[in-house]
Amino acid sequence: MTMYIGYRGIANKILLYVVLCLISMAILFPIVWMLLSSFKTDAEALRSPITWFPHNPTVENYVKIWQIKPFLLFFLNSIIAAGGTASISTIIGCLAGYGFSRFMFFGRTFLIGLFLVTQMLPGVLFIGPYFKILSFTHLYNTRIGVIIAYVTLCLPFCAWMSKAFIDTIPKELDESAMIDGGSRLTVFFRIVMPLALPGIAATFIFGFLLAWQDLLLVSALTYSESLQTVTLGIARLIGEFRVRWTMLMAGSLVGMMPAIVLYSIMQRHLVKGLSVGAVKG
Amino acid sequence: MKSHSLSKRGHFVQAPYLFILPAFLILFSVVVFPAIMTLRYSFSTSEGNFTLDNYSYLLSDKLFFSAFKNTLMFVGGSVAFQYIIGLGMALLLNLEFKGRPIFRLIALLPWMIPDVISGVIWKWTLDPTFGFLNDFLLKLGFIDEGILWLSKSHLALLCTVSVNIWRGFPFVMIILLAGLSSIPGQLYEAASVDGAKRIQRFLYITLPSLRGATIVALALATVWEFRRFGLIMAFTRGGPGRATEVFSTFVYKQYFEFFRFEYASATAIVISAIICVISLPYLYTIMRQT
Repeated sequence: MTMYIGYRGIANKILLYVVLCLISMAILFPIVWMLLSSFKTDAEALRSPITWFPHNPTVENYVKIWQIKPFLLFFLNSIIAAGGTASISTIIGCLAGYGFSRFMFFGRTFLIGLFLVTQMLPGVLFIGPYFKILSFTHLYNTRIGVIIAYVTLCLPFCAWMSKAFIDTIPKELDESAMIDGGSRLTVFFRIVMPLALPGIAATFIFGFLLAWQDLLLVSALTYSESLQTVTLGIARLIGEFRVRWTMLMAGSLVGMMPAIVLYSIMQRHLVKGLSVGAVKG
Repeated sequence: MKSHSLSKRGHFVQAPYLFILPAFLILFSVVVFPAIMTLRYSFSTSEGNFTLDNYSYLLSDKLFFSAFKNTLMFVGGSVAFQYIIGLGMALLLNLEFKGRPIFRLIALLPWMIPDVISGVIWKWTLDPTFGFLNDFLLKLGFIDEGILWLSKSHLALLCTVSVNIWRGFPFVMIILLAGLSSIPGQLYEAASVDGAKRIQRFLYITLPSLRGATIVALALATVWEFRRFGLIMAFTRGGPGRATEVFSTFVYKQYFEFFRFEYASATAIVISAIICVISLPYLYTIMRQT
């Protein structure tokens, strides 16, 4: 695609960068605004006319979020919920992905269809029954209950993504290992898993991020403040009578950091996993 | 018959089922079973007797239809513009230039942010008095007084859709970028040799080659936007009034604010059915490949 630019020389290049910078500004301004606001005092943020840059930059908000709200606990809850969900979904998803990738068997099409359909179904279809089932089993308002609900959200995606990654590993490897006397499970754990590791890491992170972002299930299935995740904590803060915007902006920044870091690290593999079917066909 | 040779030996026939069994059991117990429970609740009264009242009530519920209309506008507007902008950005960021990784990262940023947080930071940016956008537009002289972005029905819905376009276009972009990078360069060279103009190359090479990527991107974006919840809860909570109420917030409120369990179930069933029908083309495409 180099031919789109290059021939027409320097003027085109400058135009390109101008366009890119304008677009970047359009994309970034709310994020920059959040960043700037998070370093302002409450009084400065709620002053008219408004200031763009903080006059007396302060990190006070970043200290307050841990004190006024149990943000550390919210963080911990998010990590436990997302980590637990991603672990379960990845392990079980990889097993299923391997099954789908390596075997032709009766009912395969039906089962793949089932996995795909479940990843389409909206969370609101489940919150009612989950509420009843978890209350009945005394798991309502517990971390385990939240993780069980999150697995619904993540497992179909994880199975589907890991299948795509396992597909890229030649199945002749399995077969030669089995001729050498390995069982299917040995092959799976000793050969396929290590080779698919980058893909499996991407699957784990994708599951982690799906769970990290959720608001619906955690609001439906918990009521204690001590079980709130970061997203729920932030959503509750904005529902309060007097919104503490500067603190909320600091909290938002902290809350989005894990997602941004993980996405950036795994960007390439995530794209591969998400665009299954996008390149073929 | 990939594992035919193995299954002849006999003891590997059950292997595929054993690998899939754990996932299947979990999916059955946490997806299929609850979905059937919801279906059953949707046909029952609060005492547990069979009834069709929930569905007949739904058909006469103006609020449901207003949420339906909002959802269509929200999903339609979001997906259409996410695609247009995502395609434009993919073409732009597929060019080769210095600093491309940085610009790709910037373009991806909105998609990496959890949607609840996007809702929060945009609400603050659009604050009529203390927000950045009004101040910026005032300083440029585009407006004479601050706009109440989220207080008027139509404007609030427009803002919600716009924020969601901002949030979601990068996803379409990365899928299309993956599609673009798989187009062989020789195709363009051959076309150039044959004297094809840039627009022709785009129409006859680029667009047809992106067909698969487009289906995946549109299908996943559509399904995800139908489910969008956090962004709207944080941004408008469905307000002002019911102006930005969509399916997911509507059902959630029926369950946990109005405690109409059976009616909420009926609405959830209808919505799920709609989503399933819409995702059929995607399912068909994917299934044909596997």
